[in-house]
Amino acid sequence: MSAETEHGVALPTPNVVAPPTSEFHRIGQMSQFTGLYSRELLRTFRNPWVLVITVVQPFMWLAFFGSSFANVPLAELEKLLHITISSYTQFLLPGVLSTSMLSVGMFGAMSTIQDKRFGYMKRILLTPTSKSTVFLAKALGSATRGLVQIPVMVVAALAFGVQLDGTPLMWAGFVLALIFLALGFSSLFLAVTASSTDWQTPGVISNFIMMPLMFASGALFPTANFPAWMATIANWNPVTYTALLGRGVVVSGTFDWLYLGYVAIFAGLLVLAGTLVGRKYMKVE
Amino acid sequence: MTEDAIVANGITKAYGSMTAVDHVSFRVPSGGIFGLVGPNGAGKTTIIKVLTGLSDLTGGNAQVAGFDVRKYPMEVKQRIGWVAAEVILDDDFSGWENLWLQAKFQRVSEWKGRAKQLLDYFALSAFKDNKVGTYSTGMRKKLEIALALLHEPQIIFMDEPTIGLDPGTRRMLWELITGVNREYGITIFLTSHYIEEADALCSQVAILDQGKIAAMGSPNDLKARVQGDYIELETGEPVNETRLLAIPGVREVRAQGRTWILKVDRSEEFLPSLFDHVKPDLIHKINVEKPSLESVFMQLTGKRIDQAGAEVQDYRKFYANVRRARG
Repeated sequence: MSAETEHGVALPTPNVVAPPTSEFHRIGQMSQFTGLYSRELLRTFRNPWVLVITVVQPFMWLAFFGSSFANVPLAELEKLLHITISSYTQFLLPGVLSTSMLSVGMFGAMSTIQDKRFGYMKRILLTPTSKSTVFLAKALGSATRGLVQIPVMVVAALAFGVQLDGTPLMWAGFVLALIFLALGFSSLFLAVTASSTDWQTPGVISNFIMMPLMFASGALFPTANFPAWMATIANWNPVTYTALLGRGVVVSGTFDWLYLGYVAIFAGLLVLAGTLVGRKYMKVE
Repeated sequence: MTEDAIVANGITKAYGSMTAVDHVSFRVPSGGIFGLVGPNGAGKTTIIKVLTGLSDLTGGNAQVAGFDVRKYPMEVKQRIGWVAAEVILDDDFSGWENLWLQAKFQRVSEWKGRAKQLLDYFALSAFKDNKVGTYSTGMRKKLEIALALLHEPQIIFMDEPTIGLDPGTRRMLWELITGVNREYGITIFLTSHYIEEADALCSQVAILDQGKIAAMGSPNDLKARVQGDYIELETGEPVNETRLLAIPGVREVRAQGRTWILKVDRSEEFLPSLFDHVKPDLIHKINVEKPSLESVFMQLTGKRIDQAGAEVQDYRKFYANVRRARG
């Protein structure tokens, strides 16, 4: 049924499509999620340079930064750091593990921007895959990538002769806190870059967010030495609590559940907020 | 299940103050090859984006595979395949892994048998474990079509399927497209600014110009609407419209750049009289256009399709853009 218009163009009469009678259920996202997550991991770990940097970077931290106070007598160092330690590297290890979770979102942000620029995001979103699924796969993918640094850095610390305290269960709790931290910050990073297609954005964001959060935390130095304004930031900063939790485990074999709870809430809120932002603002190209 | 694979009712898409698609309506019957033809910038890709749910409609509504694209985009996406103009694959993965990812995204658990069949059909089996980055353009196109077919869709959308391909590869793809349509019984919706492509492939064609449909029908129906031939003429002689119109047999005269476009009844009879009025040795170029989709477009819009685009985009420019996007 069509009607001829004055230009001879056949216009279709409105077609009434019967609403689908089959029962509607939300289309599951598990298969898409595992596909996207596997893709993130395979892309990362097939690149030999990624592996090299993942292994070398923690070594560099411990070797260079950890050696900064090598000539300071331990008693003076303990006075400065307000803690009884065997070396500055022992103090530093939980802090460096925590701060290295700050930047893991950069991997996910870069890979998302690459997918937008190469058009692969269109390929994904032209299948029954929701933007939230893409967001979560990217966030978890970059968090996972960050976690590889944990065993590498612990082995490096042992190689540097650092004494490690704590039971396996305490260590598992510390790793869980690091996972939460990585998830929270990769969600933050991905949400902030959701609408961007510019390669430079992640670097800029990294400097703006990550640098302050690294130094305004108890990760590298105790917050007791900070000026008031910086201590305030540090008191809110989840990096502080992950570092303190880890330091308790590594240095004195103690575990503070409150710290773990704080980081868990931080991760939960940011993953939720990030997914909502990603669903609304993530660009296709 | 409806008889029409796609129904578009007054679909409109505006980007700010720019209306890319302006109240476009059409139906695509199931099982055919439907071509949306028009110059670059006419709104072809935008129509694909709104029909596939990638971009939201500003106005109107559309049903694809029986589902409203606005209300049920996920249901639509489960039932359609898509082939991009610029060939979008994951170059770091093998052909087989690209198929595996597509199967994951489309939630097809039993995909290996069909994937093997498709690789055989497209003669890619020998290369299935090679990284896609090492494939030739023709192989990449074929793999992309295999990805689109993996979940047995009802409709495949192809955006400029042969843009940037050499003539041999283009012919091969034409055969594959008609083969896929025939053997798998899948409706194909394609866009093209190659008019001969639409003529060769499509059972139905809609001609799009500046976001609106100028004409629609089978290629033969459309060609039957054009009466007479077009002659494109470039001459070193100073001529004007009045002088050209005075030549017996000339029905219309239009200027497009330095080219004059004359409409005549039968070019065979007209050409001898043209050479009586215009000095043959001063003619730089002369081109006779028999009734074709190109002449349909010329009659409707007064322009040649390849000159009507916002920018004429040849394949070199196209791939330069792709490279820039990747760099």
